[in-house]
Amino acid sequence: MRLPIFAATGPLGWLAVAMGAITIWALPLVLDDPFFILILQSLAYLYIAAIGLDILVGWTGQISLGHAGLYAVGAYTSALLATKAGFPFWISAPLGVAASGLTGVALALPSLRTKGVYLAMVTLAFGFMAEVTANRWSFTGGPMGIMAIPGPTLPSGAEMNATQYFWLIGGTALMVQMLATNLYRSRVGRILFALQGSEAAAETLGINVYVWKVVAFVLSSVCAGLGGVFFAHQNGFINSETFVFGLSVQMLASVLMGGTGTLLGPLVGSVMLNLLPTLFAHLHEYHLYIYGGIILATIVFLPKGIVGSLQLLLSARHLSSPKQIVPDMSVLRDLGHDTGMTLSARGLCKEFGGVHALSDIDIDITPGTVHGLIGPNGSGKSTFVNVLTGIYRPSAGTVEVAGHRVTGMNPHKMARLGVTRTFQSIRLFGELTVLDNVMVGFHLAFRRGFFAHLLQTQSAVEEEAAFRAKAQALLAFVGIANRANDLAQNLSYGQQRLLEIARALAVRPKLLLLDEPAAGINPTELHHLAEIIGQIKAAGVTQVVIEHHMELIMGISDTISVFDFGQKIAEGNAVKVQADPKVIEAYLGTPAELAHA
Amino acid sequence: MDPVFIKLWQAIISGLSIGSIYALIAQGYYITFITTATLNFGQGEFLMIGALVGLTCYVSLGVPFPIALAIAVVVTGLMGIMLERVAIRPVIRHVLSYSWVLSTVAISIILKNLAVNLWGPEQMKFPSPFGDQVLKIGSAGIFPQELFIIVCAVGTVLLVQLFLRKSLLGKALMAVANNRNAAAVVGIDVKRMVMLAFMLSSALAGLGGILIAPVTFGWAYMGTVPGIKAFAAAIIGGLENPIGILIGGLMIGLMEQLFGVINSSLKEGVIFLFILIMLAFRPTGLMGRRAIDKV
Repeated sequence: MRLPIFAATGPLGWLAVAMGAITIWALPLVLDDPFFILILQSLAYLYIAAIGLDILVGWTGQISLGHAGLYAVGAYTSALLATKAGFPFWISAPLGVAASGLTGVALALPSLRTKGVYLAMVTLAFGFMAEVTANRWSFTGGPMGIMAIPGPTLPSGAEMNATQYFWLIGGTALMVQMLATNLYRSRVGRILFALQGSEAAAETLGINVYVWKVVAFVLSSVCAGLGGVFFAHQNGFINSETFVFGLSVQMLASVLMGGTGTLLGPLVGSVMLNLLPTLFAHLHEYHLYIYGGIILATIVFLPKGIVGSLQLLLSARHLSSPKQIVPDMSVLRDLGHDTGMTLSARGLCKEFGGVHALSDIDIDITPGTVHGLIGPNGSGKSTFVNVLTGIYRPSAGTVEVAGHRVTGMNPHKMARLGVTRTFQSIRLFGELTVLDNVMVGFHLAFRRGFFAHLLQTQSAVEEEAAFRAKAQALLAFVGIANRANDLAQNLSYGQQRLLEIARALAVRPKLLLLDEPAAGINPTELHHLAEIIGQIKAAGVTQVVIEHHMELIMGISDTISVFDFGQKIAEGNAVKVQADPKVIEAYLGTPAELAHA
Repeated sequence: MDPVFIKLWQAIISGLSIGSIYALIAQGYYITFITTATLNFGQGEFLMIGALVGLTCYVSLGVPFPIALAIAVVVTGLMGIMLERVAIRPVIRHVLSYSWVLSTVAISIILKNLAVNLWGPEQMKFPSPFGDQVLKIGSAGIFPQELFIIVCAVGTVLLVQLFLRKSLLGKALMAVANNRNAAAVVGIDVKRMVMLAFMLSSALAGLGGILIAPVTFGWAYMGTVPGIKAFAAAIIGGLENPIGILIGGLMIGLMEQLFGVINSSLKEGVIFLFILIMLAFRPTGLMGRRAIDKV
């Protein structure tokens, strides 16, 4: 859930940072006890790792049961460089983090196409491999591990004491939290949340899903590596017994307890899971009951975690936004193209295991027109749109847009050419707000990249604000501006369909495919929809509309193609198509069948 | 006979026997996955409880082996019903699709503590009901327990499939797996079937535990690794393909024993490396159906 209500900007944000800094400075001085300082150090580096895990799990919607492995890579790399090559901490530590990041890239590869429990297996297998390798390889010290790992030094050459080391880890944690907050607020956070919502929809907005998944894995691994490095230099000793499945579970549990995708969840969860066991340490015999019980109870009773539940309570007030906003048509001028885009398909076929969903379709779509596609259920309309937009690869035939051969091209590349779509089964990013859904649509238009948004440079902030205004205008155009700050999943069905159109318009399409935009919407909305389609046409965008609603399709279409059994059986304007005997037969049956009935 | 050949032959027998245990546990993953799209990440701890309950009955109380086996299966089966009630049903409607991973892991953590409290942390010997006499086949020897494991585990896997496909109750369960709502419409008690799935799943793990204990020792931490390897077997086979899972289990058993012959430190790592590579190319397992994202 990306409800950034705890992500204050401006003075409030800096106040939070200052309070964090003071807390970090004061804690070891107040709790002046070696044991507590050790616990604070552990808490801080596990918190860093948890922030990274949340980017993967809470934002991107992936799962990791092997995060301890990434943590191990950072710890071992830095420890080995420090002990075997004699590197100082300040060199071995960044190298350890880098090694962990690279491992993240390697781990991303088998994770790209796997989902759900299969992805769980990938990460689990990686975690076990890391543990087994550390345990069996003589280079990593085998079961004995690595000893006498030096701590970081001060400029004077003396080794840091425990309090100073905590300040280093705590300060780093604060910085990681600040950077993560920047990302969370920016287009990067939105893109990752969009992947969680629907990869297919993200692709049609021009997002290269593979690349961004790798980004998520790398960010996550870098944080895990940082945590691991700090761990290795804390005690001066590591062995494989630390980097077990249980540690991965603990990290995941702290993220879930705090609340996934809530920004402060990792902090709250890490504090809970690291301090509670310490409180119950004297109940040694029962501490696993308590630990397991806490995890179970949180998951069952606080499914959104502690911060997530708090956010829900507070957001009811915070997100009240229903001001009536007057539709602003200037956004359409912004959209304007002199001419829309031609699309032509030749001999298009698609088979699914011997079933011919499409056979030998030829179609030409004239620029700037609305082209309707109708046909009974199962006639191949949706398959046709999926082939056109690159979601399916055709078995045979070609597709050209504006003279470019695009057959089987990835949807995100099609979006770059100006082709996008909406979905019959609504594919919104449910964890994002309505406004943010549209903002994701501006992906290709953003000029500032990852690092500008990571650091929230002036230009990135301005760019964000400019697109926010445009997104608001698009929402006003489709008539749902008053819901801008609601979560997309809370909209009514009809509003969700309108939001999909607004999001697609953010891509500035030259060719827009609407897959059953009227399905499930009420008569008032239907009228509104027809108007919207008309205005988009007036702005010069070519549209292909699949629809069952005859009144709508006959009213808006310049040309209509009729599909039946995967073949195009008729084409022409509304009058011509309605009179076509083949069309009547397809919908009503042959005269003989009718007589029989 | 050539000593290398004997070693290989013994590795194959041990591989098949341990592999059939993995297949048995993985069959439990299959049953709950098809009905609820969840599985018990603490399956290994149910195996451990099965083994230790069996050990108490058979060794400490002197109950005859078949009865000890039955008790272990019933106890773990009942625990499966409790698991479903406590860790699956309350979280299955959560937006977060993987709450159940952690809730079942939490149960497994609690079970491990319970086992340490009840049985202590030490490894305990579980004498094979068939004795330690080595059966000679040619010049290679095998333990009768290993043969018993293969026959019993593979037999059970087949019986479960027979139950799911031929009996009325099994068909009802498969109907729920196929389409929950449609099953409810024709009057099948979906909740009951889900309970049944978790009961079966856990009972299979319990059976695996009492079968494997004579080969490995019984102790509180015996379950984790077989649980994970069985998960690997299920993934290789493709979670919704019972025959694939059987083959996957045997494959993993064979792989680890054969690599163990070459180099014992390779044994564990190789399986997981194999899984990583396989999933990079076949994201739904070797024999799993390819998922088509319908839009």
